[in-house]
Amino acid sequence: MVKAFKSLNLSRIGVNLFIGLLAVFILGPLFWLGLHAFAVDWHYPNLYPSGFTMRWWSKVFLDSALATAIKNSLVISPIVVLISMVICLPAAYAAGRMNFFGRKAFMIGLFSANSFPKIGLFAAIATLYYALNLMETFAGVVIIQLLGTIIYMTWIPAAAFAAVPKNLEEAARDAGASKFTVFRTITLRLAMPGILVAIVMSFLASFDEAQGTYLVGAPGIFTMPTEMYSLVQNYPIQVAAVFSILLAIPSVLLLGLARKHIMGGQLAEGFQLK
Amino acid sequence: MISLLRNKNEEGSFTTKGEGPSLLGLGLSLPPLLIVLVFVGLPIFIGLTFSLGFTTGPNRVIAIIGQQIHKKNHWWGTFGAYNDVIHDSRFLGDLSLTIVVTVLSTTLVLLLALSIGLYQRLIGGRKAAVLVTLSIVPLFVPVVISAWAIHTFYSGDGFMRTLFSHMGINFPTLTSTPSAIVIGTVWTSLPFAILMISSGLQAIPDALIESAKDCGASAFRIVVNILIPLAKTPIIIAASFTSIGILGSFTIPFFLGPNQPTMLGVEISNFFGSYNRPQQSLVMAFIVFAIASGIAVAYVRSNIKSARESDRL
Repeated sequence: MVKAFKSLNLSRIGVNLFIGLLAVFILGPLFWLGLHAFAVDWHYPNLYPSGFTMRWWSKVFLDSALATAIKNSLVISPIVVLISMVICLPAAYAAGRMNFFGRKAFMIGLFSANSFPKIGLFAAIATLYYALNLMETFAGVVIIQLLGTIIYMTWIPAAAFAAVPKNLEEAARDAGASKFTVFRTITLRLAMPGILVAIVMSFLASFDEAQGTYLVGAPGIFTMPTEMYSLVQNYPIQVAAVFSILLAIPSVLLLGLARKHIMGGQLAEGFQLK
Repeated sequence: MISLLRNKNEEGSFTTKGEGPSLLGLGLSLPPLLIVLVFVGLPIFIGLTFSLGFTTGPNRVIAIIGQQIHKKNHWWGTFGAYNDVIHDSRFLGDLSLTIVVTVLSTTLVLLLALSIGLYQRLIGGRKAAVLVTLSIVPLFVPVVISAWAIHTFYSGDGFMRTLFSHMGINFPTLTSTPSAIVIGTVWTSLPFAILMISSGLQAIPDALIESAKDCGASAFRIVVNILIPLAKTPIIIAASFTSIGILGSFTIPFFLGPNQPTMLGVEISNFFGSYNRPQQSLVMAFIVFAIASGIAVAYVRSNIKSARESDRL
């Protein structure tokens, strides 16, 4: 890529200052909270805590409620992502590759369902959940988290499937490859980055989901984010800090896995209706 | 209309050999559609009837438990609960706070994303990569954590006040003020806007920029007359998703905002839970939905327009 304005007269100090401010704005809160996880105590206006300790970590790991929440999150989110894949990927393929009656309406319908305020939906869904006996059940929590993943799991892979060049597939077919081989080695492989991004985004959506999970899960089922709500109100800040670090680990791992594709435009591509 | 529905396959044909007819496509798209219809469409529909005073059938139990329930007095229902909400002074405060925060945060997010995206497109280099990477970070931090981290950062004994007190400056406590909501929503909304806008700007061919430059156009003119118009669709998508997300947000205003007035997302939850006024709570949800739908229409229209234009090219 040619950079047309390398010489553009932006003062270097200005750019560096901007980077510095953005770094403080974005990373500052995370570091500040993270440091508290190791602090004995921290009194305003001291720049340093009164000492460092690991005892908040053992407090978290020895608390059975917190451990259960961690376990629940690590079980529920992968299940949600798997179900979402099974339900949505065929639909994404159809939306990306086939023209069927109502295709556009299908994509827009998913979008408008997404623009109803989540908190209002969770208030409205209680009636249905009581009728179906889903309150405080594992299935109920899975479904509520599934709802937030559908838009990612259909839109992003649909764009990825649509972008696979048809002449590649046709050439492979002409060379004698079976339909299944073509799908597996060409279509699926080329669409893989998009699917990967969809998986990451869906996992994060499910793993992050707190409000709906709290409404239909509590007090029987707590996940890490819903536990966090009660933590910040009932425990010292250091415990919440430890828990935050634990809660961020899966996300950071996924960042490493999919950063290239997400920044490469797979996410952006998925949100342009075609 | 058919041309709008077309996939971007080069041959312009709808189906390749061996791929199924339209019925198969419809069939494959049914499972997510059914889930959304049953678990989003149906509750919203039942909620709508309840907000209009239909208190029998599925709404019987909630109508018994809830307080200040209006029962329908016409065949189509009643606007009693809507009247309650519109004349509630607390609601008006919440509504204006919600709108102000949404407009202000969306503007800030777009300005930030545009300046970073333009810097990356026109100048590039390592610094641009650092800026983009920094702005993507919030995507990978669960909202509960970001809200709590920002809460502690700007609180009375937080970092900002600590740092400035050592310089002899009394930095204001932002936590539990509307400013903190704006900070939090900008923080969480930035990644999506950056991804949309920067990929839109990157897709603009170099040749266009180069030739404009050769004709003597200034960087400013190129930005205003070429880059922004050509990236209009991704910018509108970023704007609509950001504003719809902020309108209905709960976690950020819940942790960071003042108790009163608060954003409608929090008030919906308060009315449903603490105040036990489910009908009024749903009315607010529908008001938020109405505003969001207005934004959604802009999004869909912009997409259809750009699909039409790219078809013509």
